[in-house]
Amino acid sequence: MPSPRRLIAGLATATVLALALAGCSANASTPGSGSSSETGKPVTGGSLVYLEHQAITGLYPPGAGFYPNGGIVNNIADRLVYQDPKTLEFEPWIATKWESNADATEYTFTIRDGVTFSDGTPLDAAVVAKNFDLYGLGDAARGLTVSEAINNYQSSEVVDKNTVKFHFSAPSPGFLQATSTINSGLLSSKTLDLPFEKFGPGNAANIIGSGPFTVDNEKIGTGLDLVARKDYKWAPKSWSNQGRPYLDKIQITVTPEASVRVGALLSGQAGLIRDVEAQDEKQVTDAGFQVYAAQTNGVNNGLSLRFRNEKLSDIRVRQALIAGIDREELVKTIYTKNYPLATSVLSKTALGYVDTKDAFAYDPKKAATLLDEAGWKLGSNGIREKDGQPLTLVVNEAAPQPRSFDALTLVSQQLKKIGVDLQILKADAGTYAKAIQDANQVQIYHSMVGRADLDVIKSQFYSKNRNTLLNRDNADQSIGDPKLEELLQAVASTADPKARIEASQTVQKYLADQAYVIPFFEEPQVFATANFVHGFSSESVGRPSFDAVWVDKQ
Amino acid sequence: MKYVLGRLGQAAAVLLAAFTVAFVLLQAMPGDALMIKFENPELGLSPDQIAALRVAYGADTPLPIQYVHSLLGFLGGDFGYSIQSGTPVKQLLAEVVPGTLLLASLGFVAAVLLAVGITILANLPGLRRIADVFRALPSLFVAVPVFWLGIVLIQVFSFQLRLIPVVNPGPVEGLILPVLTLAVPISAPLAQILIRSVDDVLGYPFVAVVRARGAGPWWILSKNVARNAVLPAFTMAGVLFGELIGGAVVTETVFGRAGVGRLTEQAVSQQDTPILLAVVLLSATVFVVINLVVDLLYPVLDPRLGARKRGIARISRERKVVAV
Repeated sequence: MPSPRRLIAGLATATVLALALAGCSANASTPGSGSSSETGKPVTGGSLVYLEHQAITGLYPPGAGFYPNGGIVNNIADRLVYQDPKTLEFEPWIATKWESNADATEYTFTIRDGVTFSDGTPLDAAVVAKNFDLYGLGDAARGLTVSEAINNYQSSEVVDKNTVKFHFSAPSPGFLQATSTINSGLLSSKTLDLPFEKFGPGNAANIIGSGPFTVDNEKIGTGLDLVARKDYKWAPKSWSNQGRPYLDKIQITVTPEASVRVGALLSGQAGLIRDVEAQDEKQVTDAGFQVYAAQTNGVNNGLSLRFRNEKLSDIRVRQALIAGIDREELVKTIYTKNYPLATSVLSKTALGYVDTKDAFAYDPKKAATLLDEAGWKLGSNGIREKDGQPLTLVVNEAAPQPRSFDALTLVSQQLKKIGVDLQILKADAGTYAKAIQDANQVQIYHSMVGRADLDVIKSQFYSKNRNTLLNRDNADQSIGDPKLEELLQAVASTADPKARIEASQTVQKYLADQAYVIPFFEEPQVFATANFVHGFSSESVGRPSFDAVWVDKQ
Repeated sequence: MKYVLGRLGQAAAVLLAAFTVAFVLLQAMPGDALMIKFENPELGLSPDQIAALRVAYGADTPLPIQYVHSLLGFLGGDFGYSIQSGTPVKQLLAEVVPGTLLLASLGFVAAVLLAVGITILANLPGLRRIADVFRALPSLFVAVPVFWLGIVLIQVFSFQLRLIPVVNPGPVEGLILPVLTLAVPISAPLAQILIRSVDDVLGYPFVAVVRARGAGPWWILSKNVARNAVLPAFTMAGVLFGELIGGAVVTETVFGRAGVGRLTEQAVSQQDTPILLAVVLLSATVFVVINLVVDLLYPVLDPRLGARKRGIARISRERKVVAV
């Protein structure tokens, strides 16, 4: 007999192993800007080995937020306008000029002459219109989603070969910045006709943009090469390199294990690595290598307190949680100086930032008093109780975020001192996806989002975007705090730039006053380079730009 | 011949069962791949948009129809598409199966060599004094985490001694460390069983007879004991396949190799059902084949088993006692 027991045991082993691994993988997110110092005269030619943490999952720009995807799109697709990663100002790229009407419901772009996609087709107004019709409206039939960055999109209008106009159903002041993000990477007409499947791994070489690089030699799950376009000559004015990319080739190799990435860099097997973990930074700098922490200019890494949950509905409990967490100790213990302590829900380098750090001060005594007042009395086991119910809260482990589990473990220890039992949710993807949408299961949500526009705050908290506070209850679609909704709407739809900044600041203050959030730190995207690599920089949320990179070692 | 046909029929039944169980289990798990993909807050999609996408993906199709559809697809060699990335599962597997197959078979061969080596060293007459060291090796090997071993090997051979690069290694260079990493934990149970059965066989009366007729220890070990001691280890080899897959997951991740293990790990984390179904079926197939081969080879190793072809059922029952 074939001994079915063995077969079943084997199957079970395989399945259990597979399931046990569920928690091991991390997904992407977003990141700031950094650039390496320039020394000597750039050399043209040569190649660079870049070790990535994860493999690409798809290059459809609106869905390319996952970091490895965005890193490719940023180098193969140009944008209408360029956002300077330091000043966050806009400058011409594929569009030579642009204008919008007073209420930001109509945008007109003039398209540069002579730009071609890497398949030789011209980049003109018609194809730009086709790009935004897809990104602004999506195509559910093909599984292609709407870009989160584009709000209120209605239609496009090709005025002439070089002029395209976009119409919006309501003011869309964030649209200009949206056109500069990787989610609006311009692709050739043929590429835009592809179904979702064809944007996936295995077909990366057929994603055609007009950027300085093209994809070649893709090996699913292992990596791909970015090959220079020798005829590239439409870089934004502020780029140090106005011609073809200096490097001939960048070999992107997926190396999931952090210590192997660092070791490979230090032993000269790689020139650039991404995702240097906080605890490894010292090893890299001590060996004389460069660490670049690119800031992500958006909503800080931190906690959203889901105030619609019964336990957190009392503002005093939320305030007690804030006062009970020593954020300084957290940043000092778990992270490095590249992770600056947050002083608002937004990063200091984000547009519209306003300092609200006083709302997040550490004061365990005050925390205890607040909880007493709210009726949560210390139980015999050191955990507070009310009506026989323990003050147990659940926070999700944010796997894509750096050292999330370590940070939350420390927070949990800190909160224990004021009698709060904080549990960390670590689960398989399906359970996790369900749990984080339910405030009865996950009362505190750990996350961040990077985007260098005022809209970013709306992306994070608005009921129909990320909805991290679960202000919109998924069970009955009701809204808990209509005022917050209104304030967030104002950020995304106020046409006047000054008034829009004020709108964002109002939200930041409101979130702090209501004790809805506990920001931890301004999240960077950390790279390290060998000393023979020069000119490395990143776009406004920390995705690498390879156009100006050169190496002085053959 | 009839026996072989019967075994093939059983194999088909096992595969169908594996497919069905996997399908049901994956459906029973909370959430699904579409939810993980599109309800990820990072995409920032509104509930209406998500609902439209679910309809477009046919998530509202009744489960029995989905089952029949997938089963027919599998029978026709169409494994569907990855939900997460959209890439055809067939293409994903085609990229990774050869690499994993090579890694697993080399790892297995190395494990067998290692196990035999340890067994010989533990029984060599000249090394009696330190035999206990070799006897302790399997326990040590089985306790070494694959993950840790891989990293240590890379640190020493690639980063310190700089003998073998981990980035852009040659086809042979790239296999040395992963094969070693995989072989060590697999060799441990094999060596344990080999050592024990050698001990057992050495205690049999016939050994005393051979010894009495003047055979040296080496002669006894290689000519008389080896053949008798190998059978239990051989049974174990079939079972170890499961561990080989588990080891490959970790090894492939540490060494950044594309492979079935890594594909599975990613698919699990995204609950990517079509990939998982294909992987389960693939594993089941390999498992069935290996067991078939092991069973068919028994009579070759032990003529007593071959002589009683009609008593197959009884033999298997006997063997199971050894295997368990």
